[in-house]
Amino acid sequence: MTRLLRPSRLLAAAVPALALAAALSPLSAPAAPLPVDKAVLDAQAARIEAIKKVHPAVVAVCMPDGTGCGSGVLIDAEGYALTNFHVVQATGPFPTAGLANGVLYSAVVCGIDKVGDVALIKLVPKEKGKPFPFVQLGDSDKVKAGDWSLAMGNPFSLAMDFTPTVTYGIVSGVNRYQPPEGKGLLEYTDCIQIETSINPGNSGGPLFNMRGELIGINGRGSFEKRGRVNSGVGYAISINQIKNFMGHLRAGIDADHATLGASVGSLSEDAPLQQMVVKQLLDESDAFRRGLQEGDQLLEFAGRATTSTNQYKNILGIFPKDWRVPLTIRRKNARQELLVRLMGNQAAVVERPMPGGPPMPPAPAPKGPAPKGDGETAKMYEGRKGYSNWYFNVLEQNKLLGAFKKHGDFSAVAGRWVIEGKFEMADRNGPMKVEIAEVDGAAKVTMRLNIETTLEPLKQTDVAVQQEPIGSGGLMMAMYHYHRFLTRGAKGFEGLFAHGGHEPFYPYPLDGPGPKSLAELRADCAVIATKHGSVNCKWYFSLKDATLLGFETYVDKDAKDTENRDPCEVYFHDYKDVGGGRKLPHKMEVRFRDKRYAVLTVTKYATEK
Amino acid sequence: MFTRHTLPGLVAVAAALATPAASSAADPFAQAVEQANKKLVKVFGAGGFARLNNYGTGIVISKEGHILTVASQLLDTADLVVHLYDGQRLKAQVLVTEPLLDVALIKVKVEGKKIEEPNGLDLDYFDFDAAVKRGPAAPGDWIIGLSNTFEIALRDEPLSVQRGVISAYTKMAGRRGIFEFPYTGDVYIVDAITNNPGAAGGALLNRKGELIGIIGREIKNTLSDTWMNYAIPVGAKTVVKEKVTVKDKDGKDVEEERDRELSMPEFVRLAMKGEYKPIQRKPVIGGQGGYHGIVFVPNVLERTPAYVEDVAPGSPADKAGLRPDDLVSFVDGEPIVSIKAFDDFIKKNTRPGTVVRLEVRRGEALQTVELTLGAHPARPAPATPPAPKKP
Repeated sequence: MTRLLRPSRLLAAAVPALALAAALSPLSAPAAPLPVDKAVLDAQAARIEAIKKVHPAVVAVCMPDGTGCGSGVLIDAEGYALTNFHVVQATGPFPTAGLANGVLYSAVVCGIDKVGDVALIKLVPKEKGKPFPFVQLGDSDKVKAGDWSLAMGNPFSLAMDFTPTVTYGIVSGVNRYQPPEGKGLLEYTDCIQIETSINPGNSGGPLFNMRGELIGINGRGSFEKRGRVNSGVGYAISINQIKNFMGHLRAGIDADHATLGASVGSLSEDAPLQQMVVKQLLDESDAFRRGLQEGDQLLEFAGRATTSTNQYKNILGIFPKDWRVPLTIRRKNARQELLVRLMGNQAAVVERPMPGGPPMPPAPAPKGPAPKGDGETAKMYEGRKGYSNWYFNVLEQNKLLGAFKKHGDFSAVAGRWVIEGKFEMADRNGPMKVEIAEVDGAAKVTMRLNIETTLEPLKQTDVAVQQEPIGSGGLMMAMYHYHRFLTRGAKGFEGLFAHGGHEPFYPYPLDGPGPKSLAELRADCAVIATKHGSVNCKWYFSLKDATLLGFETYVDKDAKDTENRDPCEVYFHDYKDVGGGRKLPHKMEVRFRDKRYAVLTVTKYATEK
Repeated sequence: MFTRHTLPGLVAVAAALATPAASSAADPFAQAVEQANKKLVKVFGAGGFARLNNYGTGIVISKEGHILTVASQLLDTADLVVHLYDGQRLKAQVLVTEPLLDVALIKVKVEGKKIEEPNGLDLDYFDFDAAVKRGPAAPGDWIIGLSNTFEIALRDEPLSVQRGVISAYTKMAGRRGIFEFPYTGDVYIVDAITNNPGAAGGALLNRKGELIGIIGREIKNTLSDTWMNYAIPVGAKTVVKEKVTVKDKDGKDVEEERDRELSMPEFVRLAMKGEYKPIQRKPVIGGQGGYHGIVFVPNVLERTPAYVEDVAPGSPADKAGLRPDDLVSFVDGEPIVSIKAFDDFIKKNTRPGTVVRLEVRRGEALQTVELTLGAHPARPAPATPPAPKKP
């Protein structure tokens, strides 16, 4: 008898839940209308509206043959869509993509971020130039635990017509850290934890706030005894982390995350409150050269407080390598701010790592020959070491340089340049004259700042000479490359000419007291990386209007003597037209190793053909 | 009946759904959660092997740091540690546990103070009496679960939030592995997946962030063999058998079993004063247990029923008259679901000389036999087929 009672008790428990679900469904209206508050109906209407708005932009990312694999979401009219790296790892470079309209599109993988488990793909429209529906990016820093959220995608590859499945739940936590799954990849830092149901096939799909703004990309969950299906704990990569990598993804880069080049840990695991301190430093790290020492307490990293090991990993994990970020440290009760270039995370490119945790159907074993795109997508793919798709790098270069050209076309004035004006240093000042000539392959820079120095950039290969004038880190070399960059463009850089994604740039104010915090200086830039001879440069273009805000010149980027790895930094101010619509900076700040070397004020540019 | 349950549920749904329409800053969920998070701790203790987590959750119920959690193996350590919401790491000590309510009271230990002395702490806490007085929540009511599920949070990281509705207020019928779960009292069953590793001891809250229950462990429902999502209500009651020693009419001490009602409010009230006496349970005996001489059928399934294949001649089982094809159903009143359960019972609870009472099914009838267990023979009884490897 008791045995019979128990199931009925269970049944009684289940029935109200079912009745509740039925009552919520608009299809099964109850016989007698329930008195429902207007606010409720409004909220429901708003939710339905939000879903309707984003619905067409949700992507079912499929294998080349059209079978289901993961999910994604379109983020612009051109057809760029975000998904997980572990999804395109399964599909290869030519996935297909189904939209809610039931149409399956050809697609090509653009950029990837293996550590962050993000990939950008581009869908090819059926009619050339036809815009795709897309969603707005939100601000994931504003998401709080307890907020409502919507996850969309194609769990279990349910929808044969690609109509996205919607699940609804709350954000369980923000700024969550989930360690890497396999060989240091697929590390979820600063991610959003959700109870919103996500299952295999949801990977790469969007997480929305209730305004239909994209706040994350769903990618993995915590699984244990209950099996590899939703167990109430899923994770989405925050959209703000993805924004940091967006430039890299669009430029077809196989992006890498950053490390500080120092191990930072809790002073004592047993301490009542955690203090994050620098435990070890790599000699070759920029952090070491910027003056970070073992034992320094790390208070803030990129403007966020480092209160625990997880928080430190969270903050570090959202940055691409080579980014410069401010650190605040405490040493002997004095606070200090440092601007540090971050190092790369992946020592070498890891070949086909196996993802461990994320909810995704297992990738089928590759069959037959390497996948080829169809006519259109095959043209949009070019492999190259360090890049997931070089085609898109060239595309982004051309976009950027096209916008830059609005500030002047210098190809017609590729001859000798003479720049005159004055210089100011900490201890002296006077007239300045720089002459840059590159005739018939023989290059020469002459620079007079009180005393005259000359450099033949291609003949004089000694690092110490190339770094002259002393204390500048190589200003003559920098001016040579600047001239070359403006007048020859990509053709002038035989070693490397690539779009480097987005990076922050920190132009100092020329006058007045220093900034209160380095973060105030930050200007977001698109980067072109170049190499000519043995010299590397990075060119920083404002994301706003493609103005060249400055550049860095690395005379010997991988110098054995790590001291010599620091670049000469040139910051441009006061752009004026010098004729022919060509705008050039009339003030330049030259910095080397955290110090100002000089400010150059230009009164005259003489540019020859 | 269903309408009665559904209607209040819908009203609750209505109220909660209304919030996203307003600005998210005014979202009462986020606020309630933020407040409640300050009254919970992450607990770290024994475990870390064989799928036993060394982490859990606890509910602060006094400003001096009395913390309620479940009575798990986590507490079997002298190095119990809690992390407060603000990242402080403090030592803690178990005051008293009651496995039959699956509850434990632990307390933060302040350096240089005795555990019973005032320790000067002034923590945020849930008023347990007030929580009991509010009365139980009803099926259909919205709930918030707050716990350190999967050990996602450390130090000052906030606990994980989930929401759902109460599906039922019922009695527990669960098992852990092969063991019946000792707690059989009141539980809330919820529709959110609240019970994951580390979630035990977390708080089940109403929408206002008020405490209504203690999130339980990872337990499977004995009937459906599915994972349960349950919490023990703050006002939970259960009836347990307690062994008491009484004088019989001749003045001799005899053990007698009595029903005793246990309740969470009473546990908390007495435990806070240091006056709670846990229910006396039979001591668990280690080792091989006594010798019975039963040879069971080949143990090929996870839960092979305890059918007798043979009995060793002259063994206690032989003497008691057990026969092939008998199904051992109960030992000393404990249901036996498998051969493994029987073996475990014998190992844990008996030694040579112990008398056990077996309920065996023979044909259609249930027979009771008593065995006086002996010492294991020097040579093992006829070899039983090896147990298959677990899948």
